[in-house]
Amino acid sequence: MRAFVYDRPDAVDEAVASVAADPQAAFLAGGTTQLDLMKDGVWTPDRLVDISRLPLRGILVESQQLKVGALTTMEQLAAEPVVAQRLTFVREALLAGATVQLRNMATIGGNLLQRTRCRYFRDPTVAACNRRSPDSGCAAVDGVARMHAVLGVDERCIALHASDVAVPLLAVEASVLVSGPSGQRRIPLSEFWVRADEGPSIENVLGHGDLITEIDVPLLPQGWRSGYLKVRDRASYEFALTSAAVAVQMDGDMIADIRIGLGGVGSVPWRAREAEEMLRGTHVDPVRFEQAGRATMASAFTVPGTAFKVDLAVRTLSRQLITMTEATR
Amino acid sequence: MTATKPDLGTWVGKGIDRVDGPHKVTGTAPYASDVTLPGMVHAVVVTSTVGAGTITKIDTSALLTLPGVRAVFTHENFPRLNPSPDVLFGEAPTAPLQDGRITFHGQEVALVVADTSQEATEAARLIEITYAAEAPLLDPAAGQPEPLPLSPDTSRGDTEAGWAAADVRIGATYRTPENTNNPLGLMGCVAAWDGDHLEIHDTTQGTIALRKTLAAMFGVPESGVRVRVPYLGGGFGAGLNQWPYKLLAAGAARELGRPVKLMLTRPQMFRLVGHRPDTEQQVRLGATRDGTLTMIEHRATVLSSIDFLAVGLITSGTGHLYACPNVATVERTVRLNRRYPTSMRAPGEAEGNWAIETAMDELAYELGMDPLELRLRNLATDLDPASGKPWSSNGVIECCRVGAELFGWSRRDPRPSSMREGDLLLGWGMAAAGFFAYLPMSQARVTVYADGTAAVRSAATDIGTGTYTVITQLAADLLGLHPQQVDCRLGDSDMPASAQSGGSGLASSLSNAVIDAVSHLQGELLTLAGADSPLHGLGPDDVVCRDGALCRRDDPSVRVPIADLLAGQGLVEMSGDGRLRPPDAAAAGMVHAGAYGARFVEVAIDPMIGRLRVRRVVSVTDGGRILNRKLARSQILGATVGGIGQALFEDTLTDPGTGRVANGTFGDYLVAVSADVPDVEVVFVGEPDRYTPSGTKGIGEIGLVGVAAAIGNAVHHATGRRMRDLPITVDQLMM
Repeated sequence: MRAFVYDRPDAVDEAVASVAADPQAAFLAGGTTQLDLMKDGVWTPDRLVDISRLPLRGILVESQQLKVGALTTMEQLAAEPVVAQRLTFVREALLAGATVQLRNMATIGGNLLQRTRCRYFRDPTVAACNRRSPDSGCAAVDGVARMHAVLGVDERCIALHASDVAVPLLAVEASVLVSGPSGQRRIPLSEFWVRADEGPSIENVLGHGDLITEIDVPLLPQGWRSGYLKVRDRASYEFALTSAAVAVQMDGDMIADIRIGLGGVGSVPWRAREAEEMLRGTHVDPVRFEQAGRATMASAFTVPGTAFKVDLAVRTLSRQLITMTEATR
Repeated sequence: MTATKPDLGTWVGKGIDRVDGPHKVTGTAPYASDVTLPGMVHAVVVTSTVGAGTITKIDTSALLTLPGVRAVFTHENFPRLNPSPDVLFGEAPTAPLQDGRITFHGQEVALVVADTSQEATEAARLIEITYAAEAPLLDPAAGQPEPLPLSPDTSRGDTEAGWAAADVRIGATYRTPENTNNPLGLMGCVAAWDGDHLEIHDTTQGTIALRKTLAAMFGVPESGVRVRVPYLGGGFGAGLNQWPYKLLAAGAARELGRPVKLMLTRPQMFRLVGHRPDTEQQVRLGATRDGTLTMIEHRATVLSSIDFLAVGLITSGTGHLYACPNVATVERTVRLNRRYPTSMRAPGEAEGNWAIETAMDELAYELGMDPLELRLRNLATDLDPASGKPWSSNGVIECCRVGAELFGWSRRDPRPSSMREGDLLLGWGMAAAGFFAYLPMSQARVTVYADGTAAVRSAATDIGTGTYTVITQLAADLLGLHPQQVDCRLGDSDMPASAQSGGSGLASSLSNAVIDAVSHLQGELLTLAGADSPLHGLGPDDVVCRDGALCRRDDPSVRVPIADLLAGQGLVEMSGDGRLRPPDAAAAGMVHAGAYGARFVEVAIDPMIGRLRVRRVVSVTDGGRILNRKLARSQILGATVGGIGQALFEDTLTDPGTGRVANGTFGDYLVAVSADVPDVEVVFVGEPDRYTPSGTKGIGEIGLVGVAAAIGNAVHHATGRRMRDLPITVDQLMM
């Protein structure tokens, strides 16, 4: 393996300064994505700044939101009682992801920043990858594609953002707090990721040296219900083929308000705003659920291996809408 | 065989814990990856990034300046090797680094040796190789079909007449994809030379085949090559062949005059140690209205690499399971620019059974007949239908009946989609299964010591199935000792030669060698009994060993302590060597039967989102004499998990343009995980097989056979959709 310098600072400012000063430096948190990428030879930082000693662990429960330290592990967040009560779909998405061993290492901040699982991206012997090297092409489009995206992609790149928990976090309008060389700022998740069809080599709006320190997650108001449905071939330890995170506030038989996120389909975690608008203020109607799904997937770009995902995503959303709206009656 | 039937039953059959269990759970069992020798250096294999062509340039000069790098071997400087000898399943795959030819993507093209594996890995990453690349041949339709030496065509009766005579006919094409063996233990070795003596710690399933290969290819005496494999992290067949990595490590060690350690990476395990090759199969079945088969035709094409052929065996069981007068099997292979194929757990049978047992289910539906009833009507239980001679044993009907009873098959409503539970469609499917009899040669040595303990020695490997344990139990019974008084040592080619663990043949082969060895040991001990001994004049089979004494078999109270026999001649130990002595089958008038089984499966399918879960499995096996109930159950359980993987997940994908493995990691290649495995009820039926004294059949593979077809048939029952291509995935099940 390639030699690199390893730092383990104790303070956020120190960590940010350390990375900002060296263009070949990078932060290291749980390492569940990064170490794989290093072993694959895809990612070759000269300096790793291990942030595990920074005081960024833990969950602060406020009346309207959670302040989640970026180094909080997936298991820790899933175990928080308020998450089970007020953000059920976040808990379900967490527990549907990876394995308990990985969830005990993987951090929430790192989860949002995970790189695509595309095997063409992760194999440096594959030359054509616009995400890795701009303007080199995309081997996946003509290759074996299945665990790839159909929304927010085009023929230049079909990389999937495979996170589960990012989907409900996006739906509930969480935001991240970032410390960088030029100070602190807040970025709503809706503005955090960059779609592959808007530039395959750029994955998010963070600059070099920017560090996520906290994720602020609004609690669903009392009376809302939420749930996460993940569809995959294997029963565990597999990324979603499609998934749906749905939160609803019902008024009798009517959907008073709703939030929908879709996973397994987008180059970024996908907020289904069209579907939300079509369903808000309507009565429970599976036909309309399907129409809302179809509207969301209307812009899909597919290749032969991913074509089934359009229909599967519609079905996944419909099923989860049925489940969530039934549960309130 | 003339040996008296051994008295087994005190320890044989009991579900005792693994004798090697404490070593394994405390981390003290030495696997090849644990071996460290003084002066040892580390080698990393570099693999090709094109699927066909020729290497035009490898510049290694820059690598030699990197920290720790000792050598870089390429086809330009690696030693020339002698041709590979014929060993198990033919010769070795292509000898590595003999020329610049590339026959598949991911082929070995260089070996980097450094002081640490990290340094070697980094240098391997930086190597620059230029290729004259060619378009790889990847389309089976564009290749030349050729016969497979181990899978000859067979024919009996007149299949066209059988087709014409049928009232009901079905014909369809079935496909199985490439599966990768993926033992959990990474394969690799440590090779060390002392002059012309080579010692290699490896992950082979067969120490003797590897010894012969290394001796021949490096031009040294077989007596000077020692292969050591005391423990194996699995294999599923990936350890059967004489893979190039072993030759690379041995060659580098000889050139450098140092021990060389070479461990493959998980991605390399998808490329360099074989796989279950893809098949396409055409099956035609004909039957009269009452469900009697009038013909079976089974044609299979299996994919091979350019230089190394698949084993095949896809169609070889087809003519033996069902009593049908008209059967034809045809098997071909096509050489493509694909990685080396090999045997993977239940090779051929797992693929062929998928086609035949799915076709039988289709025939049952065409006939309007219960699929179980169709099997019972046609299974050949008394005579082998190919030879007309009686089987040495055959419990397949019992497997079907017992399984159906335990599963509750009689409560099945045969109409597709008729059984529901809320939103879920339930499906019940079954399949019959057979696995060929295979009895390779093994030898063993049994030694008794003056202190009353005993040892068994053989070059056989315990692949993880429990060979150490069952041989210990057997020897304990044969010698009248407690298992704790028996020390079983395996996995060393300096011990008596043995067959590989593979082909489900070792337990039977080695157990019969041990029985023979004890008989010889008793004969040797009798030679120590003088004229005044109460045992004087008795033959080897007139005596038995009991509690450290040699006794009259018909009157155990007449006994002489072994210690006294030994001391009388100034001896401290005595050994008997034995080997498998197969009976003359023609004289015995029987056909050696393999293992049989029947699988019953319930699936639940959520048709809206295509979600399939296996809900329960009843797996019944005729394994002859079961040597250890606990370990035997574990074998069937593990094989059932493998069958679920074959049915639903496992699919090694190849890039259409380059021939590169497209999903060669554990993150991308799915195997069944615990959450996919439901309650599995494992039951054994049948009697000790009559063909050998130990009466056992191999059960390492039979448990996988039939699982996929039972699942596929259950999917049809649940949905009305016929599954003919594996794996069965979500996108095929949305309704």
